[in-house]
Amino acid sequence: MAPHLSFPIALVYIIILLIPLLTLRLLAILPPNRPPPAKRKRGTPTRLLIVLGSGGHTAEMLAMLRNAEASGLRWKDYTHRTWVVSSGDSVSADRAKGFETEVAANCSGSRVKDHALGISLMDSPEKPRAGEDVVGSYDIAILPRARRIHQSLLTTPISALYCLYHCFRILSSLPASQYPDLILANGPATATILILASLILRFFDIRGASKRGTMRTVYVESWARVNRLSLSGKLLVRVVDRFLVQWPGLEGVGGRGEFLGVLV
Amino acid sequence: MASTKTCFVTVGATASFHDLVKGVLASSFLKALQSHNYTDLVVQYGVDGKQTFESAVKAAGSSGIQISGFELEKAGLGKYMRLAKGSGKETQEGVVISHAGSGSILDALRQQIPIIVVPNASLLDNHQVELAEALAEQEYVVHGKLENLVKALENAEQLRQRQKEWPPANSGVHRQAKAVGLRGILDEEMGFLD
Repeated sequence: MAPHLSFPIALVYIIILLIPLLTLRLLAILPPNRPPPAKRKRGTPTRLLIVLGSGGHTAEMLAMLRNAEASGLRWKDYTHRTWVVSSGDSVSADRAKGFETEVAANCSGSRVKDHALGISLMDSPEKPRAGEDVVGSYDIAILPRARRIHQSLLTTPISALYCLYHCFRILSSLPASQYPDLILANGPATATILILASLILRFFDIRGASKRGTMRTVYVESWARVNRLSLSGKLLVRVVDRFLVQWPGLEGVGGRGEFLGVLV
Repeated sequence: MASTKTCFVTVGATASFHDLVKGVLASSFLKALQSHNYTDLVVQYGVDGKQTFESAVKAAGSSGIQISGFELEKAGLGKYMRLAKGSGKETQEGVVISHAGSGSILDALRQQIPIIVVPNASLLDNHQVELAEALAEQEYVVHGKLENLVKALENAEQLRQRQKEWPPANSGVHRQAKAVGLRGILDEEMGFLD
């Protein structure tokens, strides 16, 4: 009698066949196999997404962006900035706005488009009027927290999934109507989820997320991490395109850690 | 008029740190403050620290130190940092006591205010102890222990004499070839042609 292939066994075969395929796909979109960034001219529209966390993460992020600016970073090259903050963290949102105000003030005669005033955060940006020298535009996107401090580890997956859902929305439906070109993040858990969301979009190449080389990722481990990586760092060390650390003891961590001195 | 000297204590915005609030309001610590000529103690006690703060103030009684407290400051702690920094004759330089959050440590280092860092042991993992130790080893901060804040205050008074600059003058020097910092990495990853 011919062996009858039952449904569960067929399913197992399919899964066994899929595992190497999925693994290959994952390897192809992760470093070191991911192709280098496509070259582009300064001044072409770009979208940078900056993830702020609570308190210290935000302070560190803004400190290192100020230092980057002091060492020659030109904000007009990063034509649209999306600042991601956690819900309830109005302090970070205010500091992002303050930072943009500074950016505008430092570039005299030009101004930054503020899309963060209204409640609707998913609006498309106004077109800059002709002849107006704009230092780009920005918006502030709000994410539900992935994990509150002291939240039980048991309920964390649920809030993390909810956060993931919002990450997809932020990555794919914001002003420039394109995925971010670059995601800059340091330690907060929301950053890990956001980068995971970008990975999923690239994995399935949704709307060309992978083919077009979008959503490159730069992770900066917190200055507070001296010898050991944070949980976010451990999860992301093999995933992000660049992994920066701020203490020599972490140089080369995971075969990836780049130490360029203190950045904050 | 006698000059003022302020000790500013911060527990940060996200987590509570009742032990630090109680610690700086203990009578032994208030006495130590007085003996080092402090006049003011300002405590940022955090989201659920009000009760702890108020009952500790009551328990401390009158101490000769002007004690005040607040929950959070949305506009940032800059104002209080400057208070602790002092401005010369009428306000002497005091000290900052921080829960080891990197934000407040950075603020104090940049303004070169002596800072005592007291890690909060109740958080998920206490990497902040490593930061406190690493920075204390390089003599940027005093690593304070909850059970001995008086000693930490003495150490901070000594640290004042040899306060170092931040960011470290030699940061990245041995990396000159790659001394591009974050700007270089961002420009590279954005793929800008130069």
